[in-house]
Amino acid sequence: MATEESTSDGLGRSTALRLQHLKGRLFEVALVAATLVGIVSLLALFAQISIDAFQPGSASPTWFLVYLGTLVAPTAAFTLYARRRPAVRETNAKAFAAVFGGLLLSFVTYAVVDSLSPYDVFTYVFFTSLPPAIVVAYDRTTDDRTFTGPAIPASIVVGLAVAALLYDVVRGPIGIAAEWIMYFGLVTVPAALLIGTLTASRRGRRSGVVAGGSVIVGGLAVAVASIVTGTNAAFPVVLFSAFVVPTGYVLWRSVRTDPEGRVGVAGPFVLLGGTLLGAAVVGQFGIQNPDTFLTPTLLLESWDGLRANNAGVYPQIVGSIIIVGFMAVLAFPVGIGAAIYLEEYAPDSGLRGRLATLLEINISNLAGVPSVVYGLLGLALFRRTLGFGTGIVFSAAGTLGLLILPIVIVSTQEALRAVPDALRQGSYGMGASRWQTLREVVLPEAIPGTLTGTILALARAIGETAPLVIIAVATTKYSPPSGLFSSATALPLQIFAASANAKPEFRHGVVPAAAVVLLILMLLMNATAIVIRNKYGREH
Amino acid sequence: MAPSQNLETEGITRRRSLAALAGAGALALAGCTSDSGGNGGDDGSGDGGSDDGGSGDDGSGDGGSGSISGDIRISGSSTVYPVAQEVTRSFAEQNPEVDFNLSRDGSGGGFENVFIPGDSDINNASRPISEDEIQRCRDNGIEPVEFFVARDALTVVVNNDADFIDSISLEDLQTIWSPDTAPERWSDVNSDWPDEPFDLYGPASTSGTYDYFTETVIGETEADQPIREDFEGTEEDDLIAQGVQGNVHALGYLPFAYYVNNPDSVKALSLSVDGGDPVEPSLEGAASGNYPLARPLFFYGNMDMIQEKNHLQAFLEYYVNEADEEYIAEDIGYVPSNQDMVDANLENLEAAAAGEYEYEPISTR
Repeated sequence: MATEESTSDGLGRSTALRLQHLKGRLFEVALVAATLVGIVSLLALFAQISIDAFQPGSASPTWFLVYLGTLVAPTAAFTLYARRRPAVRETNAKAFAAVFGGLLLSFVTYAVVDSLSPYDVFTYVFFTSLPPAIVVAYDRTTDDRTFTGPAIPASIVVGLAVAALLYDVVRGPIGIAAEWIMYFGLVTVPAALLIGTLTASRRGRRSGVVAGGSVIVGGLAVAVASIVTGTNAAFPVVLFSAFVVPTGYVLWRSVRTDPEGRVGVAGPFVLLGGTLLGAAVVGQFGIQNPDTFLTPTLLLESWDGLRANNAGVYPQIVGSIIIVGFMAVLAFPVGIGAAIYLEEYAPDSGLRGRLATLLEINISNLAGVPSVVYGLLGLALFRRTLGFGTGIVFSAAGTLGLLILPIVIVSTQEALRAVPDALRQGSYGMGASRWQTLREVVLPEAIPGTLTGTILALARAIGETAPLVIIAVATTKYSPPSGLFSSATALPLQIFAASANAKPEFRHGVVPAAAVVLLILMLLMNATAIVIRNKYGREH
Repeated sequence: MAPSQNLETEGITRRRSLAALAGAGALALAGCTSDSGGNGGDDGSGDGGSDDGGSGDDGSGDGGSGSISGDIRISGSSTVYPVAQEVTRSFAEQNPEVDFNLSRDGSGGGFENVFIPGDSDINNASRPISEDEIQRCRDNGIEPVEFFVARDALTVVVNNDADFIDSISLEDLQTIWSPDTAPERWSDVNSDWPDEPFDLYGPASTSGTYDYFTETVIGETEADQPIREDFEGTEEDDLIAQGVQGNVHALGYLPFAYYVNNPDSVKALSLSVDGGDPVEPSLEGAASGNYPLARPLFFYGNMDMIQEKNHLQAFLEYYVNEADEEYIAEDIGYVPSNQDMVDANLENLEAAAAGEYEYEPISTR
């Protein structure tokens, strides 16, 4: 009897244990299911958009074979090869960042400067960079650095004021010069200075001067060559300075200093070469391309609402980049400054401490306010109160800047909070002041986190539609915005408008293709964030 | 025209060179002609340049020069947007120095936020301007100049397999859609029709098409809503068509422009008025007035701007003359202007350019 009882007791206990176990398993299954539902539905959505955008079904099987041979197979082989060799993999990543970063930089610089007028941009950049350059040069000649540090930001403001004052006088004479000279001054000269300084710090002043000088000479040679062949010299000069020079520098250094990983520099060229070769073969033999709307026309022409093959979003792409770029200039100093104050300076107790806490709670809540509300805020502030025209670049950038400000502040605060307190205490212990600690210890540690957060905020801003509709930003323009006070335009607005087009080829062809362009813009920003984070992460 | 054509080739050359260079990557220096450098003359609107803020546009200074330049801001209805978009596109092709700027704010939103504050030169509207809006324009010193450019026909559609019906009378439509009658089954309206329940689709109440349909077809109702409640209202014409495709006994109404561009998706019904012969939905029918359901589309110009900006006058003249072209019907799907409308619009433009126009509502429209 007793034994029976104990057996049933034991059975009951093991059943309870098994039930406990089952509950745990069921919970895990539910978690997996939740993850799968999320990921699968997102994947299905993106697959749908990409299929509509690329129309892979309309290409002939030969097309797939050609690109399999020229692009997919070599790239896959190279990736497999690089995966097993860490040195090669690292060089490969560096080469990819240099090549595609350089290409991107060239295109964006050219497109933005071209639409804002190279003469205007040059005038302003020249006057705002000259005074700080003089201050820095003076700083080199003297040991007394009490005033040179604060003088740099002050001199930039002075330069900006001088540029605005002298604009009407200077603009005429500058306008006489050829366009490429402006690009030469804007891109080639900084590139030469950068390469010169980098080389000088590694191999002495003499080599630095030679390296910088050869970049200048190279830029001039490219300009002369294009003029002789009758081409517009502006874009070749930009491409040379912002793509060929930095890429060449990075690749050359890798090849010289890294014998183990030097094969890695071939990575991006396998990809580019494969694409070009594939395109050449397809063109040569007249193989049926996919019937996609993701074409050079879409990227480089302006809108056409009737003929889908003729519809382009060049002004909208450049407009989005200009809005987001100017927004970054407005929002980042303010946001990062506020975050540093709240995190490093604001007292914890007393009236000011309570004020700071209240501020922080409000900022966190502002990060969740719907974007339409920011649109109304922008309309009220920039149009009704400040009296700017509707839908100009300044209002659009300001409205989006207000929208991302809380995100920038919160992410910068997080990054500052992640810096260990021991570092601060150590710095104070060595007699450093709060400002010195901040500048030399805390900020360098916090840069990767700050940049990641802020660039993700940029990526959010580039897709915003509702606030721009409210402040009446133009849906369709035939040229990109020509200045901060000219009317803006943005890619999401044109996508929204095209989705209401009566013709099915717009709704099911152009809209997904333009959406893919927007996604690529956003992904490029995220990729930049990752590259920057990794770079700083390695250095510290 | 010579200088402007020059500029056009230059603009194209730059884009082309960018395209070609993009294609060939770093290796190619693509061949294009024309060294540029003639861009020195563009005035004022640059980076940080002076802007007085209030008026928004700086279109002055184009007076005596041969080619026309300046900017034109167009706001308002998204229904009129396709017409404005196509006309501005072709005008900008011939006059690349004219900078267009089109936004879609809705008829009311455009008046409210952009036109009445004096920020836009033209506001599109898929209905006549309201008395209240005129008053507020005049309070701001703006005289709206009316241009009646096109009509947007409505199409009543059924499923492609609905063999029992090819035409419908306006009276039956009213019976079906009115909240006072709101029949449950097709046979309740006409005994020849099947004994099946209705499945109704139409635009949502925010749409101008909805406003026109409820006013014209249903009219005054005893109930306190303008239309029966048990229909699927949606912002997307696509969804109306899909709903009708999904049920043999469905009925819906759509903008004709959508039907013209998607003719295979649904079947359009002919309409008859007062026992007359049924009229097939067609743009010719709508233009002649035989087809009863077509709503007027307008745009309104700011008279001061018209007087001030030569390029705006030139554009409006082009627009008005272009509004009777074939592509308005064939490609966009709206009823183009007839000769009378073109003449009336030109008259309004002339009066506005002389500063003598005064808006008067036309009661019989």
